[in-house]
Amino acid sequence: MKKTIYLFLSLVVLGLYACDDEDTDTTTKPGTLDIEFNNTINGEGITMDTKTYTNAGKEGFIVSELKYIVSNIVLIKKDGGEVAYPVADSYFVIDENDSKRILLKDIQAGEYTKVKFGIGVDQSKYPLNGVANFIPTAEEKGMLWSWSAGYKFLKFEGTFSTETIEDEKFVMHIGTHGTTQDNYKEVTLDLPSVLTIGEDVSPSLEVEADILKVFDGTNTIELSTKSDIQVDPVNAPKIAENLTAMFEAVNISN
Amino acid sequence: MLIAFFLAGASCASSEENLSPVLEEPSSIDNNPKLVLTVPENFPELTYDTSLNAPTMKGFELGKMLFYDGRLSSDGVVSCGFCHMQDFAFTHHSHIVSHGVNGAIGTRNAPPLHNLAFLNSFNWDGVVTHLDLQPVIPITAEVEMNETFGGIIQKLKKDPEYVDMFDAAFENNKIDAENILKALSQFMIMITSSNSKFDKIEREEGAVFTDQEAAGFTLFNTHCASCHKGTLFTDQSFRNNGLPIDEKYNDIGRSRISGLPQDRYKFRVPNLRNIELTFPYMHDGRFGTLEAVLEHYTSGMVDSGTIDPLFKNDDGHLGLPLTPDEQQQIIAFLKTLTDDQLLNDSRFAEF
Repeated sequence: MKKTIYLFLSLVVLGLYACDDEDTDTTTKPGTLDIEFNNTINGEGITMDTKTYTNAGKEGFIVSELKYIVSNIVLIKKDGGEVAYPVADSYFVIDENDSKRILLKDIQAGEYTKVKFGIGVDQSKYPLNGVANFIPTAEEKGMLWSWSAGYKFLKFEGTFSTETIEDEKFVMHIGTHGTTQDNYKEVTLDLPSVLTIGEDVSPSLEVEADILKVFDGTNTIELSTKSDIQVDPVNAPKIAENLTAMFEAVNISN
Repeated sequence: MLIAFFLAGASCASSEENLSPVLEEPSSIDNNPKLVLTVPENFPELTYDTSLNAPTMKGFELGKMLFYDGRLSSDGVVSCGFCHMQDFAFTHHSHIVSHGVNGAIGTRNAPPLHNLAFLNSFNWDGVVTHLDLQPVIPITAEVEMNETFGGIIQKLKKDPEYVDMFDAAFENNKIDAENILKALSQFMIMITSSNSKFDKIEREEGAVFTDQEAAGFTLFNTHCASCHKGTLFTDQSFRNNGLPIDEKYNDIGRSRISGLPQDRYKFRVPNLRNIELTFPYMHDGRFGTLEAVLEHYTSGMVDSGTIDPLFKNDDGHLGLPLTPDEQQQIIAFLKTLTDDQLLNDSRFAEF
């Protein structure tokens, strides 16, 4: 059995490195990629807990917590060839108050023009080998919904005020619940320039996330209409959809 | 023999019912034999994909040890087996709702654990759709085991016996969340209840119903089997069975996970195997006896807005038209679902 498993693993590994024999880059050893998520409002980094921002609905809001899960990272070449980062190692929590960096290792050398990733955990494909090992990280970050054995894909909390409401708490916990709601989404971003991966380079990619899009994306979300959005069959899918439009790959540096 | 599992090497050639894939590498048989999850002939196909977590002797043993280990909880006492006792078909005997660490009280009745490898979803509201993830709920719930996976992994890594057992059970030798959950599943999927008197009748193995039981079986098929369907005694749907709303918990059931008003007060149709032993009944354990359950279905139902249409009669009465004698006959039939072989099976026993 051991042999079978090892053989399988080797095939998977070979698959990552050898899927495109014509590519001259395969002669180069694999490289790393540092992805930095930069959460912004009005084009600037977010000041937590104190600064009041305004959404399109003219609601003032202060952010106290902002976390989301990024998963299933895939790099795409000019010819459309995809290199998937090993699924078991491909789950991350982006936390505005802590780490917003993802360091990927042993990526097939090559030139890439797009990046694809998931927002949340794709439970439709469960069980995926190794994904349960994300549980301790999710626990630590408060991104596990214990009663539903599921993950909070987005955890966005703070207070808001309008002309008639003062400093009321808002909570957005968006996730997937059994088979009743699937709010996992994937996004594909065009890279601003060609991303070269290889042993001699250590590139970093900056992905900007425009947090106002949570409120004002494809759908409009007003906190004065509903300020506590969890397990919500109407608003949660709208927010999940809004998240898909919030990311932009803005810069690559070596 | 139907619920027995065999060493794959010894049985795979002769039995046509072995559904698990059998790896034919002899070397693995020596130190960690594969277990075959045998599907009884009167059962449907497995829903659990054993090709993704093939049960082995060592994995099963590890799963059993974890299942009965209080270290999976924050107070070191409340194990899975604490609320799921084999003598009572893996339920919490006479406890209305589950009890957790430091005397905490839950809100729902602990369901029996058997034939889990045939289910599509878990929990009273179906929130979990894969058995491997189910233990996350009781382990992390504050009112149940109140522990974290990070905490459990730390504890287990300090125990040389666990280090050896994980090493023997899994190719990657790791003590991690994935392997903890896989081992628990390997133990739980082996718990098959398929040797009740009813099974022996259904499989024509020589058992026969008494007149009382036979009359009950006929009534059951007429009035109950549309929901408590087939050999598993559940169609795995979620329904409102007319329980008056319990003010104490006001448990909205499946609506909690769907957010939909039409799912309010709907709960999983529970399987009825070993029902004689799994009292108290209903999601909140409100009925202590089968007599009380049958009385509810006959004359105790209320319409809280989402009651299942099957319970609505043309004359406006809610419930099943069963005389006291007929209720007794149904209860006599239900007792043929008790599986003594499972209750006494040493493979699953804590001690």
